[in-house]
Amino acid sequence: MLTSKRLILAHFWLAFIVFGAALVLGAWQMFVRSPLNAWHFNPEFYYRSVTAHGSAMGYVFPTLIAMGFGYAITEASFEKALIGRRWAWTGFFLVAVGAVVAMIPVSLGLASVLYTFYPPMVGNPFYYIGVVMVVVGSWIWVALMVINFVIWKRENPGKPVPLAMYANVAGCLLWGWTAVGAALEILFLILPVALGFKSTIDAGLARVFFSWSLHAIVYFWLIPTYIAYYTIFPRAIGGRLYSDAMARISFILFVVVAMPIGVHHLFADPQVGAGFKFMHSVFTGLVALPTLLTVFTICASAEIASRLRGGRGAFGWIGALPWSNPIMLATALSLVMLGFGGAGGLINMSYQLDATVHNTQWITGHFHLIFGGAIVIMYFAIAYDLWPHLTDRALDSFGLMRTQLWLWFIGMIVTTFPWHYVGILGMPRRMAYYDYANPAISPQAFSVTMSAIGGFILLLSGLLFLLVLIRGQFGARGEAGAYRFAVPLHMPARIPVALNSFGLWLALMVGLTVVNYGFPIAQLMALNETSVPAVYVGAGR
Amino acid sequence: MSDQPLFSPRNPWFGISVGVTAAIAVLSAVAGLIWLPLAQPNLKLASVWDAICSAAGVPRAAVQEAAVKPDFKTSNVVMTSEMLTKVDQVSIGRGATLAQRCAICHGPQGVSDAHSPNLAGQFAAVTYKELNDFKTGARVSVVMSPFAAAMSDQDMKDVAAYYAYLPRVPSNNLDTGRAAPAVVVTGAPLRNIPPCGSCHGDIDNKAGSPWLGGQSAVYIKAQLEAFASGTRRNDISQQMRNIARQMTAEEIDQVAHYYEAQP
Amino acid sequence: MATETDHSLGEAVAARIERRWATLSIVIVGVLVGMAAYIGIHQATMPQGRVETADPRTLHLSGEFIESNLGSELAADGSVIVRAIGQQYSFTPQCVVVPAETPITFRATSADVVHGFLIEGTNINTMLVPGYVTDLPVRFKAPGDHLMPCQEFCGIGHQGMWGKVKVVDKAAFRDMAAAKRRLTCVD
Repeated sequence: MLTSKRLILAHFWLAFIVFGAALVLGAWQMFVRSPLNAWHFNPEFYYRSVTAHGSAMGYVFPTLIAMGFGYAITEASFEKALIGRRWAWTGFFLVAVGAVVAMIPVSLGLASVLYTFYPPMVGNPFYYIGVVMVVVGSWIWVALMVINFVIWKRENPGKPVPLAMYANVAGCLLWGWTAVGAALEILFLILPVALGFKSTIDAGLARVFFSWSLHAIVYFWLIPTYIAYYTIFPRAIGGRLYSDAMARISFILFVVVAMPIGVHHLFADPQVGAGFKFMHSVFTGLVALPTLLTVFTICASAEIASRLRGGRGAFGWIGALPWSNPIMLATALSLVMLGFGGAGGLINMSYQLDATVHNTQWITGHFHLIFGGAIVIMYFAIAYDLWPHLTDRALDSFGLMRTQLWLWFIGMIVTTFPWHYVGILGMPRRMAYYDYANPAISPQAFSVTMSAIGGFILLLSGLLFLLVLIRGQFGARGEAGAYRFAVPLHMPARIPVALNSFGLWLALMVGLTVVNYGFPIAQLMALNETSVPAVYVGAGR
Repeated sequence: MSDQPLFSPRNPWFGISVGVTAAIAVLSAVAGLIWLPLAQPNLKLASVWDAICSAAGVPRAAVQEAAVKPDFKTSNVVMTSEMLTKVDQVSIGRGATLAQRCAICHGPQGVSDAHSPNLAGQFAAVTYKELNDFKTGARVSVVMSPFAAAMSDQDMKDVAAYYAYLPRVPSNNLDTGRAAPAVVVTGAPLRNIPPCGSCHGDIDNKAGSPWLGGQSAVYIKAQLEAFASGTRRNDISQQMRNIARQMTAEEIDQVAHYYEAQP
Repeated sequence: MATETDHSLGEAVAARIERRWATLSIVIVGVLVGMAAYIGIHQATMPQGRVETADPRTLHLSGEFIESNLGSELAADGSVIVRAIGQQYSFTPQCVVVPAETPITFRATSADVVHGFLIEGTNINTMLVPGYVTDLPVRFKAPGDHLMPCQEFCGIGHQGMWGKVKVVDKAAFRDMAAAKRRLTCVD
């Protein structure tokens, strides 16, 4: 039973409003940099927009989704009210105010440094302060989830923590630790310079700190999606979860190995030794493991649902799935995008292949396909599934939902496939415009135009999504009943303590961080001569 | 089993997970820090310890081999983004006195019609750098070189601070309605010409790049041509020569007249 | 009673299938990591072997990155060393000239912010971080012209930061090197 409905709804609405605004910016960017636009414009507007789009989509939107969904999971799976609701509101307002504080200098063009910061370029301090406020707000959520988890376990000794909550806490712990890297970078390297206490910064060290956050943040974005795969999808299509234990192991693997792999973003950087690059590459390989396990479990769960409905044959069961159900459709489309995106990810993780695509449009295509595609489409599904429980009103525009999901999928494919392709052709990323008239670049023009069209399809889909939610707010009143999660095929009566707690996994997470990051960070910190003068941006005239 | 303490060697979850993780970490460390570097002949490693150090990223200063020396004077100014950005009233006052001798060409208020640069409101780092380059001979001018030769480092900083303090005065050719030529707004990417404003202050400022608004078109044109032909070479590491030599004569003309008409 | 047996039988089957899949997944990951290690050894395509430092403030005053030392050098052993810097918003030299079928070492650094370069039509792609020297062994198969854009956001003029690489015939390069010690194709 959900009792903190206003709290959860506030998180989701703010998340989707931010998402809508950032989506408009994204579509505009796709347009202005494409051959459809005669690029006679100030490039600064483009970088300003990229900074806003990236910060909103990377820091604010998924964080609010994870927080709102986390509160919903706590109340639904523990079947009791959230402990610390007032603190939860504090966290929410910190994120909201932080987002505004960050966006003011960005919209004034005082912090066009992109959401990945890029020191020694340094922008207006309020941009970084705003980002820190967002992170601190989310840390309140992390603390609340852990507190609720611990108290429930104390009240229910020996009982397995419901899978949804176990996974939710896994995501919290991962985020709590992952955000530390970027927080260290901002608090100890960037902010002292932005505030004028210092004028030099070690760009190499800053990049290492950022890599600590940069990759695992993707898994933080991903975890609500995986929770939806495991605990919403099988129930929504009338089936069972194939395996509870394997689900837990997948989330545990994310906690342990999602973090000590970030240096694969620095394969081409000169400040990290080759040996540590290799170690991070090995662990990057391991992080494919939970995804492979998940794909199996979800497909097997779908098969169970289908056979319960009378599906037959080796592949015939696929046709018997409830395809008109938006959750079914969203999950299937999500898995397809995850498959393509994951294949691309395997290429990025190898440093030989990475050299071909590093910092090209391929990378942008890759993370839009994984995050914007596979992950965000499940955020839609989560919202569709939760909405009647939050609003106590029916959400029944199923046709519109299916159209929206298909448009999102098509838009994402049309956007990202050509994007990958021009990356292979060597088109660098993060540029405001390209001279398509030049014969060396002109072969890329068609693909970029395709991507821009895909961007508009995505915008249309995003607007439809908001329309569905708004209609849901004014639908017919109706009690949606208790919110339930999928039940495993074989419910274990008792589970090993390792799969019901996090102590061991936290120890391994921190331990691996020390092993994989300790030395590179320590030796760069000891190096004084590589602190270089800051380059202040937006301080012209 | 669930009652067994977690952190105990007898709990298989503990033993296996810690053991596997440690094994992967150790194996990848041995492979990455010892085996792979030693397998690379071009690294010329002296020992296993050398291999570990280099693969771990222990830094060393770049080996200094004999570099080809320049056959002309290059600028020796160390530019940074924060250079001379702090306002110093004492320095401005001293600069005002020193600047009296500059007034003949640069005008009593830092503005003149004599095709010499207007200095009022110029970034202090820019004025300082050019004076310094005149003094060291990195930039040559029959008129300026003797003046600069007589100035101390502090003199140059003071004069620069004074001119930065003076308000920019619109030139007689002010025409804000004038359309910006393409080369100013977007540059020409594949000729390596960025928008002028990304360095010169209209959009953002790169340390050492002058404010161009209201400067004499004759002067701007002469400097761009000097950079393009290589007769002026005090731009550090060719940062302006790279751009000027890619510009057409027509573009140089457009830029010069556009900036002359700007505030 | 019968259902109880069916249940535990089903559970055992489910667990067995799951274990097989997990094993397969581990094998897939193992093969991928093994491939990376194998290629690293046998084709010597490892990341930069050493970390070297250089002060971006004083690159133009002394050391190997002074203006007159930038460009391509023909070393005594017949290999070529290319020294370059990245700065807002150009590479110097703006046009790099190198011979085909020759081992070449790129040595480059940044004079201000983070830059990077990739050479279109090749697998050459690396980062320039101020404070550190990038050292990259490369080889070009055939003569031809390539674009060399900066691939990392370096400020508002980033989209205008495109250099060029001109790969020339080995003999032609040697003739050029006889006349001049540091070569570029800047006109």
